[in-house]
Amino acid sequence: MKNCICFIGSQLSKQRFLLAMAGAAHGSRQCALTHRYYQQWNWRRTPRGPAGLYTQQLTRRHCQHFSKELLQQESVQRYLEKMIEEYRQVTQRLNNTALTESERRTMSRRQIELSPMATVFQQSQRAVKDLKDVQAIIESAEAGEDTQMLELAKEEQKGIRKLIEALQIKLLQSLVPSDKHDASDVIVEVAAGRTTGGDICQQFTREIFEMYQNFASYKQWAFEVLNYTPAEYGGLHHAAARIAGESVYRHFKYEGGMHRVQRIPEVGLSSRMQRIHTGTMMVIVLPQPDEVDVIIEPKDLRIDTFRSKGAGGQSVNTTDSAVRLVHIPTGITVECQQERSQLQNRETAMRMLRARIYQQLIEKETEQRQSARKLQVGTRSQSERIRTYNFTQDRVTDHRISYVTRDIKEFLSGGELLEELISELLKSAETEALLELVENSRD
Amino acid sequence: MPVQYVIEEWDFRELTLKMRPPVFIPRPETEELVGLVMEELRTRGPAQDSPASLRFLEVGCGSGAVSLSLLHHCPQCHAVAVDRSSEALDLTRENAERLGVLERLQIVQLDVLLDADSVLCQCGSVDFIVSNPPYVFAEDLPLLEPEILWYEDQRSLDGGEGGMDVIKQILCIGTRALKKNGKIFLEVDPRHPLMIQEWLRSQSDHGLEYRETHRDFTGRSRFCVLQKTAPEC
Repeated sequence: MKNCICFIGSQLSKQRFLLAMAGAAHGSRQCALTHRYYQQWNWRRTPRGPAGLYTQQLTRRHCQHFSKELLQQESVQRYLEKMIEEYRQVTQRLNNTALTESERRTMSRRQIELSPMATVFQQSQRAVKDLKDVQAIIESAEAGEDTQMLELAKEEQKGIRKLIEALQIKLLQSLVPSDKHDASDVIVEVAAGRTTGGDICQQFTREIFEMYQNFASYKQWAFEVLNYTPAEYGGLHHAAARIAGESVYRHFKYEGGMHRVQRIPEVGLSSRMQRIHTGTMMVIVLPQPDEVDVIIEPKDLRIDTFRSKGAGGQSVNTTDSAVRLVHIPTGITVECQQERSQLQNRETAMRMLRARIYQQLIEKETEQRQSARKLQVGTRSQSERIRTYNFTQDRVTDHRISYVTRDIKEFLSGGELLEELISELLKSAETEALLELVENSRD
Repeated sequence: MPVQYVIEEWDFRELTLKMRPPVFIPRPETEELVGLVMEELRTRGPAQDSPASLRFLEVGCGSGAVSLSLLHHCPQCHAVAVDRSSEALDLTRENAERLGVLERLQIVQLDVLLDADSVLCQCGSVDFIVSNPPYVFAEDLPLLEPEILWYEDQRSLDGGEGGMDVIKQILCIGTRALKKNGKIFLEVDPRHPLMIQEWLRSQSDHGLEYRETHRDFTGRSRFCVLQKTAPEC
């Protein structure tokens, strides 16, 4: 991409964002997240005016979500100012020695919470000031027709602009509260739904499971199959896997839900008549809790294994190593027969049980929190579909952010395309969370 | 033929071991025996002042499942594995090589019932003894599944009249071979914990104290833990 430099004065900085992202709403608090469009802009150089004003237009496959613009919104600005003010006050009061121990403790905790944001804010203020200085230099260099100076100043300006962008994104991220499970490992479960179209659900389930497997290796995470139950004709009935690595839950949390597929089945009457069928499959994502988060008493567990009559032990030889764990208080049942060693199966089942119990706990918590967020994890009703994969039109649509991407085959290979979708989802979620936070703080 | 012999391997805890008739196939309960020992190592581990290597004795190693699991889990341990069957020892050696723990394993062919003194010479003083001895009551042997009787070594099952022959011998060895406070971990028949305690009461000067009985996953009393409390007898 060629990088044309934008010469716009600081008073027009707001407008710059608008030029760069056509059609964006400015000033109003309209949340443009409910509606997405698929855009293609071309690189163009439009000379305008004696100062050589060029407009910068970008070619992208999908629009970047308005994080910079978000920052320009009044409510967000006010919230930011409020936080900065609070930080200043806290710092001042901490320097004042006349404080009780508990007051000091709460103040320092608050300061620690706010300091990353304050640092980034200071950095961005400095960067904006530097930008102004550079622009002044550019203007004077132009007036004096000093081309060398002009070149240097332009370079510097480019660098500062990039820095400002990065800092603004960082600032937004520091405002958004992070999910406490973001860094955990996950257990992903997939299950085929029901359909009238032959075995498209089962085939699709297998493809999705493989997509996640490839994604895990693309991100260099460990992928461990806990359970794999194939269906006939090569499809997958249900399966479970454990994915371990850095920030796995953060990436996977929006994968949970119902995925819909539309394709022409390979066998049966419909394939001959080329009739499209719709099927669904369910993905459940469970964060893996640490041992301390979920305490399971041995007396609350019932372990079902192959149990022989008589004395057992040496007098019996069996290859049946299947284990079923029943957690009596909650009634959650977990089975595992993946390994040949019964102990391994038991450990795997315990892990899955722990994750499921934890998930129940979290869901109870989030139910109480009334939030209108679209990208809320976990409390979505089971029948809401989050994504549709249309094979005949070669299109994947995520309904929560109305995001469309082409090339299903590439998508199912679990590489860049999936990563892009996930990052878009994360951005939308962060924006929603931030706006909600800002809203709540106004009252 | 048991599946494990057909495919010539089976898993034990996190290891995959080679299997060959007539060497005894590890049972799922024995996985828990290893777990018990590991738990013991874990709790006593930090308390030790020097991370000096621990030495343990396994009586009746069979395919080597117990010793190899422990050696694999604890890189500082050394083991002495004893069995009366040369086929069992060959298999143990093979599995040890595959797992890369052979240097820490000493393999001795001995029948503990006949030759207890040699055991003591060979292994010296050990920190603990672990064993899954033949514990099937002689009178119960004919009632076992035919598959077991035809393919697995009966000597690895037959514990004599009360199933206690080898167990008693291990306890005698423990009296002399264990360091102070050393423990013995045994897998036994559900009737044995009481029988063992009774037998200990009838004996004197053994210096052993019966510590605990643990249940297996089916709820049967399966594991006995004893400790040597008195010094050299």
